[in-house]
This record gives sequence, C-alpha cells and structure tokens, in this order.
Amino acid sequence: MSRLSQKHLLGIKDITRQDIELIFETADNFKDVINRPIKKVPSLRDVTVANVFFENSTRTRLSFELAQKRLSADVINFSASNSSVKKGETLLDTVNNILAMKVDMIVMRHASPGAPHYLSRHIKANIVNAGDGTHEHPTQALLDTFSIREKLGGVEGKKIAIIGDILHSRVALSNIFALQKLGAKVMVCGPPTLLPKYIAQLGVQVELDVMKALQWCDVANVLRIQLERQQIKYFPSLREYSLYYGITKKILDSLKKQIVIMHPGPINRGVELSSDAADSHHSIILDQVENGVAVRMAVMYLLAGQI
Amino acid sequence: MKILLQSPRILQKGSPFHNKEKNVLIQNGRIQEIGDKNYSADRIVKAQGMLLSAGWVDMGTYVGDPGLEHKEDLESLNKTAIAGGFTTLAVLPNTQPVVQSKNEISYITRNNDSRLVQFHAMAAVTKNTKGEELTEMIDLHEAGAIAFTDGLKPIWHTDVFYKALQYLQKFDGLLVDHAEDQWLNMFGQMHEGLQSTLLGMKGMPRIAEEIAISRNLELLAYAGGRLHFSKVSTAKSIDMLRSAKKKLQLSCDITSYQALLTDEQLKNFDTHYKVNPPLRERADNDALLKGLKDGTIDVICSGHLPQDEESKQLEFDLADFGIISLQTMGSNLATLAEEVEWENLIEKITTTPRRLLNLEQPLIEPETKANLTLFDPERSWTLDDKTNQSKAKNSPWFNSKLKGKAVAVFNNNKSWIDKDED
Repeated sequence: MSRLSQKHLLGIKDITRQDIELIFETADNFKDVINRPIKKVPSLRDVTVANVFFENSTRTRLSFELAQKRLSADVINFSASNSSVKKGETLLDTVNNILAMKVDMIVMRHASPGAPHYLSRHIKANIVNAGDGTHEHPTQALLDTFSIREKLGGVEGKKIAIIGDILHSRVALSNIFALQKLGAKVMVCGPPTLLPKYIAQLGVQVELDVMKALQWCDVANVLRIQLERQQIKYFPSLREYSLYYGITKKILDSLKKQIVIMHPGPINRGVELSSDAADSHHSIILDQVENGVAVRMAVMYLLAGQI
Repeated sequence: MKILLQSPRILQKGSPFHNKEKNVLIQNGRIQEIGDKNYSADRIVKAQGMLLSAGWVDMGTYVGDPGLEHKEDLESLNKTAIAGGFTTLAVLPNTQPVVQSKNEISYITRNNDSRLVQFHAMAAVTKNTKGEELTEMIDLHEAGAIAFTDGLKPIWHTDVFYKALQYLQKFDGLLVDHAEDQWLNMFGQMHEGLQSTLLGMKGMPRIAEEIAISRNLELLAYAGGRLHFSKVSTAKSIDMLRSAKKKLQLSCDITSYQALLTDEQLKNFDTHYKVNPPLRERADNDALLKGLKDGTIDVICSGHLPQDEESKQLEFDLADFGIISLQTMGSNLATLAEEVEWENLIEKITTTPRRLLNLEQPLIEPETKANLTLFDPERSWTLDDKTNQSKAKNSPWFNSKLKGKAVAVFNNNKSWIDKDED
C-alpha cells in the first residue's frame, strides 16, 4: 500500500502533491463503496477514533462520523461548545484523558490556529485537523479539489476564484495550498477588509470586484461570512455585503460562460449566495458533501495504515 | 577574602584601563589594585579572554512580586539576575498591585542593603496602568522611583501622555514608553506578514508601533521632557528615532533577542517565541543592528518576562507573551558581538542606562566600590533545570547549548563566582 508522507493530517501546507493524489485515488474507490448497497468496509475494524470538537460543527462532524462508520471504526464523540480552558481543563489534559481510553486517532476541531500542531508534539495518536481557527481545514480543501477534479476532469490549469471572507477562513488557506499544489490558478476576492494584507505573497491574484472574479474563473468557491469568527467589525452590514458581494442566479446567467459554484456550507442564504444560485445547475454543493465522506474515509484509511 | 581576576579585558570607556588586560584585586567589596602584578589572593579567577565591565543594568525587568509570585518573585529574580551577570535592575510596575505608591516602591527596594543585586522601581505613569489618570509622580520620585512607565502597557491616551511629559519636567523625570497602538494590534498574535498569513493568525502590524512612536515624538516635541522608547522593533521606528534624536531628549532600547530572531521561528506554533513586540523580519533586524552600531539604539534590555507553564504550554492564541531572558542575555550579546563591537554593547548595558536613570556610575579604578560583571564570551553552557534560576522556563533556548556566560559579579560588598570556576 502506498503511504502518506505524514503521520498526521494537520494541514495541506505540510503534505505533497503525491499525498493529495494518493488521497484522491483512494477516495475514488471509497466513493464507489458508499454508492453500493452495502456501504461498509472493514478497513478500520478495531481502530478507535475520537471526534473531539471544541467548536460547533454539524456537517463536518457528521461527515467524519459517517466516514468512520463506513470504515467500521469504533467512534466516540466529544463536543464542548466552550473551550476546555474555560472549563478549567487544558486541551492537552482533555485529549490525554480521551487517549487513556485507548484511542488510536483523533479528529479535532479547535478555535485556535495551530492547536492540532501543538497536540501533535505531545501525543502519539494520529491527528486529523478538522479545522483550527483561521488556519487550515485540510479535509475541506481535499474534498473541494476532489469535487473540482470530478466535475472538470482535472485541477491543473483551472481557474478558481475563492470569494468572500478570506481573512477568517481556514477553508480559503487550505484551498489555496491544495489548488496550487495541483497546478490550478487561484484568485481571491472579497471586501478589502476581509483579505489578508499579505495574501498576494502566496502567489494568488487579488480582485475586489466580484463580477470580474466570476468572469475570470472556471469555478467560484463562495465562502461563508464567518460572523462567529469576527471579533472586530470588518464591514458595515450584511445588507451591503449581499448587495455588492453576494452571488445570484441573475449574475451567473449574465456571464458569457458556465461556471461551477461551490460552497463549504453552511450557506447564509441571501447573504453570500442567493437561494436560486445555490440551488441552480451551476452548483455542486451537494456533490461536495457526498465527496466529503469519501475523501475523509480515504484520509483516515491512509493514516490508519501507519498505526 | 581577596579575589584576584587574572587578565580580563577591562571595558569602560574613559577609564585609563579601557581595553587593557589587567589583573584586578578585589577585597571587602572594593577594588584594591589594578595592574600587571600577580597580587596574592585567596581566590584566583583565570579571566584571560573574559570581559570585565561595570555591573550590568537591566532597564525594565518584569517581576511578578507582589501578586504573581508564581511567575517570579524578588528572591528568584535576584538569583536569576546574578546568574545573568546583572548587578542593577530597573523593575517594571506591572505587579498586582501596580507600583504606584511609596509602599510598593519600598516593597521592591527594601532588601537592597542585604542584596547583591540592587532593585530600583520604575513607577506607573497612570493609576493601575490603565492610561487614564496620572499617578502622584512627584511623591513617587521622592520615594525613589527612578523612571515612570506603564511598563508592558502603552500610554494610549494622548492627553495623558502629553501631561505626563509636562509634569515630569519638574524633576527632569524620564518617561519610558512601550509604543503600541492597541487598536491595530487587537487580538494580534505575531508580526503581520507572510508568516502570519500562512499560519492564519491575526497579525501585529509594524505600523501599530510606528504610529505610536510617530505620535509620541510629536508630543515630545510639543511638551518637552525626556522620553525613552522601550523594546523598539521595526526598521521604520529606528529611522524615525534616528532623525528625531537630533533635536529631542530621546533614547530607546531593544531586547537582546529582538535582532536575532524572526517571525519564521513561529512556523511550528511554538509559544516560546510569542513576544510583544513580535519577532519581525530580517530587514527589521538588519535595521536594529545598524541602530546598535550607529548609536540610535542607546540601551539593550533583557525583556525578561517570566510566565508559568500554564500560561505558555497551550494553544498559541491563548498563550501569554514573553521570554525569560535575564540569564540568556549574555549569550544573545555574544551573538550580537559578531556584528557590533563589545565596547559598544557593554556601554548599552552599563553606562548609558545608568545615565538615563540617574544612577551612580561605578568606576573600574583602585580604591572604588566593586560593582563589576565578569563575562566569558566563549563559555558554553546549557540553560536547563539545573542552571535555570528563574521560577519560569519560558525560553526558546531551554535545553539548548549556548555560548557566552557571566562568570562573576561583584556589588554591595557581595560577590558571586560561577561554580564552574571552583
């Protein structure tokens, strides 16, 4: 069996193009599996996985849990809406308590950038980063690029515009790394206050006008406005945002070409994406969700090969 | 007991012994002889290749006593300072309670008579260092405060800053400012740049420091007075200070580690490199080195900021800022000495801070009180559980091999000689 270059999946920044391609090939097989009448394989039998979520999540946690169950892993779930620190227990103590129950793999979401990296220096179990603050969300980027590959036949040379709140988005950063590793051209677009000042140094194009971004791209990955991660006010109102940065079916129809619309969910309908755009034939949002399970199965399967 | 320091290189500009290798005999807390003779002594320290200077001064040391003694108390600070080669510390007011009355000043200084290291209090400029209301600075000055600062916090209020500069002129008091615009740095974790973008972390832009420096230079020009900027970090700050120093009573310092580390050190989210001002980029560090060489930077401070393990061993954005650096400052200086002359560096940790703080200048001459630091720039050592004297361990160099170590200090009729000399 081919192996990943890393023991953990902490971020896309740390893995190679070969790793990504191996995950895609493995996910192709698992996508077949989950579309069969018997959707389960015994690959992770006797492997115990803990989903440790320090931040609210519905679909990512469900997607991971479903992927684990399809792989026949034993699953435990830990959620804390408040950070463990506020409850008086440190992250390390919380995780070590869970590991004492003989857990092999940790899937963690945490509000602090670098939290899984910190953990990886102190524990032996494999770690999958399910989102660390405003840093990375590697499995989301993998399923996004997997979905682009599926829809357009490949990622190399394709033009992808990431639109919205880039500053607070772990999805944006992971997507930029993944897309660049796979040879795509990347543009970011949003209100200037929601674009990191030094983002161009990552080798991406920067555009402030949504229409120009949509005219340029093959795929628009529309991000959720992360109101919950904004500690400071970055734009005046949702109303103005939706008027000047929101994407509607009317706008999509006015383009001279077909583009693909993606969104990592959950959508703020009527803010970054109108309902008629989200539900249009442009959208592959639900394909992303389906692919999420296959890609996460592939990631955990490949990491479990190193247990 | 007679102690003979054999052939150290004496560094004290203006002294007849400056830059010469001489034998120095110390007895009963005084320098008895300086010369080429092999004086008889009870204890001989072979000091060839070592540097002998006036005792080192740290201008702005953090201590958690009173209030946060688990981070560092006055006793552990004393030991740490000795091991680092210091004989004088100007202590920051960021204790609990804040140093803002005679009581707190006497608490800091009360054991000076029996202690090798002399602690001096820098008192708060504003009540509870909130930046709003002035403290009783004349009374604090009378009680022994040697400078006025809100320490780790900026004096954000323009009018309060202006009035502090005015008020201190009654006794030519020194205002020490940590220049930072808190709004631009709000929730900031590290230097804003490519690295913070790659790590998804809220940055602390250079301009947050530069705006504060620019504003406060204008206030100084308007109000008059004496101003010292502590822990400067950006290239543009240095440029602004260089030109402003031509016409204003102005000085500044950097921490000993600032010019040696960059934000790339943070790429693995190591909280030991989380400091304020943040580690910046190579170009900034080059400007700091230039500022050290041409005298724009007057003082080098340790930036000693002890944190307990619970404040550092956690997620990056939840961790506190700071490095313990009293003991490693000498090693930092030894690295800086590859670029900057030793006599220049030594001046920035002895003569200049004493001049700014109006402290007596110890002389390296016979028949004077011994207030001395003997430093071996070549000595290898490791900061670890055995050698660390601080209560805290938050150093990026913990368990690392370092070069350059204090070997002996003399002050207040007391001496400490590194046990490796036995």
